[in-house]
Amino acid sequence: MPSSIQNQVRLPLSVAFGIVMQGIRIRMGRAIVTLMGVVLGIAFLMSILTGQSIRQGVSREAEMRAEGNRMLSFLTAEIGPVEGRTLGVIALGPLNDMELRLVGELRNRRVARLQWAGPPPTRAAAGFVQPAGDASVGQGAAALFVMGEGTAPGTGWEARLAGLEQKVVAVTRHAQGLPEMPKAVTICLEREWQPDEVHARNIAAMRLRFRTGWIIVISLLVTVIGICNAMLMSVTERFREIGTMKCLGALSQFIREVFFIEACLMGFVGSLAGCLFGILFAAATYSVSFGVGLVLASLSPGTLLVHGAVSLGAGVILAVVAAIYPASVASRMVPAAALRSTI
Amino acid sequence: MPLDQQKLNALFPASEEAGRRCIIRAVDVRKVYRMGKVETHALRGVTVDIYEGEYLSIMGPSGSGKSTLFNMIGGLAKPTSGKVYIDQVDIAHLDHNELAWLRCRKIGYVFQNYNLIQVMTCLENVMLPMSFAGLDSEEARDKAMYILKLVGLGHRPLHKPAELSGGQQQRCALARSLANSPDIILADEPTANLDMHTGEEMIELFAMLRDELGVTIISATHDLKMLKRSDRILWIEDGHIVRAAKPSEVDFGSGEFH
Repeated sequence: MPSSIQNQVRLPLSVAFGIVMQGIRIRMGRAIVTLMGVVLGIAFLMSILTGQSIRQGVSREAEMRAEGNRMLSFLTAEIGPVEGRTLGVIALGPLNDMELRLVGELRNRRVARLQWAGPPPTRAAAGFVQPAGDASVGQGAAALFVMGEGTAPGTGWEARLAGLEQKVVAVTRHAQGLPEMPKAVTICLEREWQPDEVHARNIAAMRLRFRTGWIIVISLLVTVIGICNAMLMSVTERFREIGTMKCLGALSQFIREVFFIEACLMGFVGSLAGCLFGILFAAATYSVSFGVGLVLASLSPGTLLVHGAVSLGAGVILAVVAAIYPASVASRMVPAAALRSTI
Repeated sequence: MPLDQQKLNALFPASEEAGRRCIIRAVDVRKVYRMGKVETHALRGVTVDIYEGEYLSIMGPSGSGKSTLFNMIGGLAKPTSGKVYIDQVDIAHLDHNELAWLRCRKIGYVFQNYNLIQVMTCLENVMLPMSFAGLDSEEARDKAMYILKLVGLGHRPLHKPAELSGGQQQRCALARSLANSPDIILADEPTANLDMHTGEEMIELFAMLRDELGVTIISATHDLKMLKRSDRILWIEDGHIVRAAKPSEVDFGSGEFH
């Protein structure tokens, strides 16, 4: 009674998942070593990314501080100390970071209040900024600011200038295009960059980009090698087990599934931990040189989230890619050969 | 332990033609291993018929091609040339999927070093081939427990292989080989790592399986007790079968057993 040979049943993924979980639970020590490979790789990548964003944040912060001071000293050179005085502001549109900072700095310098015409600044505190109509702004103020995105009105300056203690109008941007005013002193606070300065800045930025790009490439390489190594080790030590399973009727497909599920799990958990360690490490080391406050101020949650997602994705993808070779070796193995191996 | 005959019969549906049906046929099987430029001829044309319900022992010094022959007739590797038929099917014509089915349902393997999966308990080891066969876990658990009791390991189902003695591990391996009610059991030196007493018990188990259930048992062995219990003994040397005899025709006192 010769029985016909049939096709072996394809097992649901849950069976492979169960075997993976069991293997990880039993070989916890080994799994942790494998996991550490992923954790270290991703922590390295994440600390580079975070460090880069911290450095950028810190240098932007420092640049803006310097620029704010420069603007204010430019202004005080014209009108004297601003402490206790009232200043008028015509906001043409939304303010940029620099202008918001300038408003904050004015407050720090104990300016009594700002008469504010136009869309109010988002971060300004109530009581300091005093909304005023476009016509009344400048009445009793020391000097007038023009801030924000847009073009300054061409007319009506006579009336505004009339109420000023000192006939000084300061624009924060060249683009605001103040009309000629013979009776007033007009100054522009925005720095005028010389062509050679612009050139030097561009070159410096390019160098920085190149350097950080290079470091990220290196860190990715380190990550790939670390994860590949860990995955390969976890396959080679199980050659015998794989051979046994094949003797008992496991399909190659099933063996592959086991390795890919394990790689995904390792990649995900390891990357998650790696992201956390990377951020903590970068924040801790930069805090030593820049101070905790500055580092925390320069870390934006959005950027961190994006970098975290990139690292997590990279970790999982790298782990799975690293498992392709070992999984295919394992699944193609002839059972007899797998049993012979003495690893 | 009294065996539940009904359950036993359900486990191993008896074949009416048990006795002389040829279950494995090897025809001029050759196997060459290539390691770089060196060619090793492990088998140089082996032809053998193995009958259903037979208890066959294979003898041969190490390096004689014994294990290679085992792998061929067990469907674990394909011959370089020649044909192997298992249950009248040429295994060269089977794809991976069908070979896996064959290894899962038709053949039970008992290895010299047990090859139990260390991370699993005894019970899980026995259940593994059943889950490969698609049995649901409740059913598999019941059946695995029954088989473990059958081999005398019913009292330690939840121990890991490392917590068992050699004999117990070998029983577990035997239970695993029985998981999907195979027609053939291939045992490579099943008693080599066992003490005399457990070795004898193992031999009794094999004999019981053959007598009660009609399972074909093929074992590589040098164990005299095992040889004496078998139906036929094959000698293999340097890739050839040099002699085949019934135990009654063999002088066990002679030098060929040393």
